[in-house]
Amino acid sequence: MTSDGPRLRLGIVAIVSVSLFAALFARLWYLQVLEAPELAEAAEANQQREIIEPAPRGRILDVNGVVLVDNRTTLEVSLDRRVLTELDEGERDDLLERLTVELASVAEPPTIESLETLLASDRFSPYTPVPVAEDVPEDVAVYLTEHQDDFYGGVRVDQRAVRTYPMGTLAAHVLGYVGAINDEEFAARLDDPLLYQLTDEIGKGGVERAYEQYLRGEPGRRVIEVDRRGNTISTLSYEPPVAGHDVYLTIDATLQAIAETALREELEAAQGRRVGGGNESNVAQAGSTVVTDPTTGAVVAMASFPTFNAATFTDGIDDVEWAALTAEGSFNPLINRAVEGQYAPGSTFKPFTAYGALTVGALAPETIVNDEGTFTLGDCRGRCTFRNAGSTRYGAVDLRRSLAVSSDVYYYDIGARLWNERTTFGESPIQDAAITFGFGATTGIELPELDGRIPTPAIRAQQVEENPEVYGRWQTGDNLNTAIGQGEVAVTPLQLANAYATIANGGQLLEPRVVDRVQRAGTEPAAGPEAVVLDVESVVRAEVALPPNIRQPIVDGLAGSTVDGDLGAGTSASTFSSFPVTFPVAGKTGTAQVTGKADTALFAAFAPVGAPRYAAVAILEESGFGGRAAAPVVARILAPIADPALLPTLEPGGVLSAPLAQAVDSGDVTD
Amino acid sequence: MAIAPPTRRPSAGLGLGLGSTAPGRRSAAHRLGHDPAAAWRHVDVMLLGAVAALAAVGALMVYSATRGPGGEEPLVTSFLMRQGGFVALGVVVGTVVAGVDYRRFVEVAPLAYGAVMVGLFGVLSPLGSSQNGTQAWFQVGSFQLQPSEFTKLALILGLAAVLAQFRDEVDLRRFGTCLGLAVLPLGLIMLQPDLGTAFVLVAITLGLLFVGGAQPRHLGALLLGGVIAVGVVVNSSMLEEYQRDRLTVFLAQDDSDVIVGGSQGEAYNLEQSKIAIGAGGFFGQGLFEGSQTRLSNVPEQHTDFIFTAVGEELGFVGAGSLLALYAVICWRIWRAAQLARDTFGTLVCVGVLAMFLFQLFQNVGMTMGIMPITGIPLPFVSYGGSSTIVAFAAIGLVVNVHARRFS
Repeated sequence: MTSDGPRLRLGIVAIVSVSLFAALFARLWYLQVLEAPELAEAAEANQQREIIEPAPRGRILDVNGVVLVDNRTTLEVSLDRRVLTELDEGERDDLLERLTVELASVAEPPTIESLETLLASDRFSPYTPVPVAEDVPEDVAVYLTEHQDDFYGGVRVDQRAVRTYPMGTLAAHVLGYVGAINDEEFAARLDDPLLYQLTDEIGKGGVERAYEQYLRGEPGRRVIEVDRRGNTISTLSYEPPVAGHDVYLTIDATLQAIAETALREELEAAQGRRVGGGNESNVAQAGSTVVTDPTTGAVVAMASFPTFNAATFTDGIDDVEWAALTAEGSFNPLINRAVEGQYAPGSTFKPFTAYGALTVGALAPETIVNDEGTFTLGDCRGRCTFRNAGSTRYGAVDLRRSLAVSSDVYYYDIGARLWNERTTFGESPIQDAAITFGFGATTGIELPELDGRIPTPAIRAQQVEENPEVYGRWQTGDNLNTAIGQGEVAVTPLQLANAYATIANGGQLLEPRVVDRVQRAGTEPAAGPEAVVLDVESVVRAEVALPPNIRQPIVDGLAGSTVDGDLGAGTSASTFSSFPVTFPVAGKTGTAQVTGKADTALFAAFAPVGAPRYAAVAILEESGFGGRAAAPVVARILAPIADPALLPTLEPGGVLSAPLAQAVDSGDVTD
Repeated sequence: MAIAPPTRRPSAGLGLGLGSTAPGRRSAAHRLGHDPAAAWRHVDVMLLGAVAALAAVGALMVYSATRGPGGEEPLVTSFLMRQGGFVALGVVVGTVVAGVDYRRFVEVAPLAYGAVMVGLFGVLSPLGSSQNGTQAWFQVGSFQLQPSEFTKLALILGLAAVLAQFRDEVDLRRFGTCLGLAVLPLGLIMLQPDLGTAFVLVAITLGLLFVGGAQPRHLGALLLGGVIAVGVVVNSSMLEEYQRDRLTVFLAQDDSDVIVGGSQGEAYNLEQSKIAIGAGGFFGQGLFEGSQTRLSNVPEQHTDFIFTAVGEELGFVGAGSLLALYAVICWRIWRAAQLARDTFGTLVCVGVLAMFLFQLFQNVGMTMGIMPITGIPLPFVSYGGSSTIVAFAAIGLVVNVHARRFS
C-alpha cells in the first residue's frame, strides 16, 4: 500500500477503535467502581432468602399446674405460589378446581374464588405457602400428600400448632385469645427481635397479650441460597425455633370455676326477682367477681359474665361470630368487667368515707348519730332530704353499727359536716382517703383496666369553668352522694377488692397480678428455680396508715355485717348464717342506684377476719339489692374454703364435679 | 508498508516456510538463520500470546459459569471439556489457515462464499435446527454447526478480493457490487433470524468499503439509508416482539418500572448482568466466588453473557485486563493491516479487525447496558464451537498476512 488514501483511512480506523475501547473502559469503571456498592447490595439480595419458622406458643397453667391453654397440631393445606406462577393458565385452573373438590369435606371448604382472593393477598411473602384450609381430615391430607403430581407440586400439607382450651371457657377473660396479627400490631413490631410475620398470630387480650413476649417463643430462622428461579441451592444458616415459655397464673382453676358458677347462677336467680317490688324482672345479664389474696395481691379468681369462647378465634373469627360478640344486647362478652367495668360502689364505699373522716379528726369511732331514717340539709334549695334505703330507722348508730346495718344517715351526717367545716378538714378528705386506697387509678394488674372515677370539688370547678351550662358548682349534696359511694364515684371490681384487701392486710396497698411465674417450655410445675424464667414478685404500691384505733372499728363493723350480733342484724347476716364460726367474714353490701336502670348489687369482703387470706368482690348489674344478689356470690365462693368438705373437684372442660351449695336465702335485705 | 521487503520468495507456498530448504542439508540451528523472509520467522508472537491468554481465561470463565452452585451439588465439567476441545480444534484450523499463503485465498474466496451461501440456504430448510426461535444450526451428532459464523470469514475474503481488484477506484457500480455481495448472506441470516451476526456482517462490510476505497458520499448515503431503514423496521411489525423488547429495554434501562417488571425477559437479563458486573467491584469476588455467577442469576452466562462472570469474579482488574488483551489483539491486527504486502492482505486484516472490534463492543457493551441486547458471542471467551473455531481461523488469516509481509 503506497498511496496516502488507505493510510489515512487506516488512521481513522485506529481512532474509531481507540474510541470504542475508551467507551468500554469508561463504562466498566462506572459499573465496577462508582456503582459497585449499590450493585453489590443488589447481588446480595438476589441470592439469599430468609424463611421464618414459627415457634410453638407457650402454655398457660393455673397456680397448681392445671393446663388452661395448650396447643394441638392441626393439618393445614397451603398453596405454594412460586409453583403456581410457573404453571400455565390451564394447569393452574385445574389445580385449583381439583383442590376445591378434595377439600369439600373440611369445615370451611374453600371455593375457587376464595382461593384466588387468598393468592392475590399481599399478607404472605412469596416464599411462604398460603394457607387455604385448616383442620383437614387425615385421609384428605394423606391423599393430597400422596398425589402431589396431580396438583403440579403446588399443594403442601403441614402440621401447625393451634390453641386449645382443655378447661373450655374457664377464665376466658384472664387468658385472652390469639388471632391474626393486624396491620397496626405488625407495624409496631417491625423491629421486634421475635420476628413477627404478617401471617402470625398474636395475643389479643388478657394474659395472651400481656405475656406475648414470653409466650411467643423465638421463631427459627433459616437463611437459604436460591437461584433465579427461587430453587433452594443450599442452607446458609439455620437457627431452630425456641418454644415459648409456660405462664403460670395466680388463678386457682377450681376456685375460678366456683366463682364463675356462683356468678352465673346468682345472675339467673336475680332475673327471677322483680325490680323494687314492681312488675318488671331484673335484667341481671352481666356482672363480675374477683377474689384476691390480700397478703400477696395475687388474683385467685376473676370472672366476668357474659363470657366468650376463645377457641372461636383460633381459626380466624368470621363476621357472624364477631357480630354476635359485639352486637347491641350482647352485653359485650369480650369486656372483662372485673377490670373494665366501672360502677358506683354504693355502700361498699362507706369504710373509706369513714377512714377519711377518722384520719382528719372529723369523726371518732364512738360518735353516735341518731338515725331517724332521713337526713335533711339546712339552708338548702332543691333536694334537701336524703333517706336510708327503705327509710329504715336505725336509732343510735356508731361507726361499727353504721357499717353493719349500713346506715346512710350516718354517712350523710359525715358528708355534710366535712363540707360545712371544709376550712378545717379540707375540701376532699373522703376523696383523699379513696385515692389512698387505690381508687381513681389503675391498680397495676397486667390486664387492660380502667381508672374508675373519684370526683372532687377541684375537678368540678374545672368542669364548671369549661362547660358552665352542664355543670354546677360542688355543693353539700355532692358531698353526701360521695359519702355513700354514689353520684359520680365509679370503681372497678378489682379496685374495690384491692381496697378491701388493703384493710384486710393492715394497710399494704398491693399491685394485684394474675401471673405467678413464667417457666421454661415443658418444665414440670414444681421444677424449681432453674426452670423459672420470671418470678412475679408482690409489689407494695403504698403503705396506708391504718393504726388499730382506726382499723379495728372498721373491721368490727364489716364483720358485724355478716352476722346477727351485738351490732344488730348485719345486711348480709342471713347469707352467711351457715358459715362456721372458725371462718368469720368481714363484708359490706352495696346497692347502687343507676339512672334509668335497676340497682347494681355489690358485695365486698375479706375472710377470715383474724388472718385474712381472701378478699372478694361481686358486682351484679341491674340485679337489685347487694345483700340479696351479690353477697350470695361471695358466700358461695368462700363456703368451700370455709368448709373444705364442700369443695368440688374440677373436671376436664372446666366442669365442677358437684353443684355448688346454695346460699341461705337472704330474706328481706335493704342494702 | 513503506519498508522495502527483501525479495526472495519461499520455494513453496505450503507450510510456514519449512519446505524452503531441503531437509537435512544443514543443522536445524543453522537453518533458522538461513531464510530471513521465511514466514515462520515473522509470526506475531504478541498476537498469539494475547489470543492464548484470552482463550485460557475464556475456558476458565466458561467453567465458572457452568460448574454449578457448588455446596451439595456436584460440579459440572462437561462445558469446560467441550470448550477445551473447541479451542484445540480452533488452533488446528487456525494453523492450517495461516499455513496456506493468503494470496491463494483470492482464488478460494468465491468457493468459500458459495459454500457458505449453500449452508445458509440449507440451515433455513428442514435440515437446520432451531433454538430460542432462531433457525441457525446444523445438528451434527452432538455438535452444532452454525454457518452464519463462517459467513463472516467468507464475506471478509470475498469483499477483500473484490475490493483489492478495484484498486481504490470504487465507482457506484462497484460499490453496488460489493453491497450485493454483502446483502445476499445478510438477508438469509436475517431470516433465521440472527440479528447479532447480521450486525457483524454490516460492520465488516462498512469497514472494508471504507478502507477499500469507497467514496465518502456513497458511504454517507448508505449510512443514511441504513438509519432510515432501521427506524422503519423497528417501528413496523417486521421484528419479533422479543427483538423489539431488547431494543426498548436498552433505551429504558434506567426507568425503574421497566426493570422491576417481572423476572422474565430482557429487562431482567440486563439488570442481572449489570448487577453481576457491578458486584465484582475493583478486585472481584474471586474465581468461583461470584454469587450471581454461581447461582446462575444471569441467563446465557456461559455464552453471550460470559463477560458478566469475568466482571463479577475478577473485578475491574480482571475485566480491564481482558479488555486490554483485546486491545492488544486489535492493535496487532491493525498493525498487520498496515504492514501487509498487498491491498488484499490489508483488507483481510481490516475485515477481521472490524469483526472482532464490533463483536467485542457489542457483546461487552450489551452486558454493561450501553448496547442493545443481541445474541452475539465474545470471541475466544464465550462457550461455543463455531464461534471459537472462526475466531481462531480469523487470527490465522491475520498471522498469515503478517508473516508473509516480506515474501
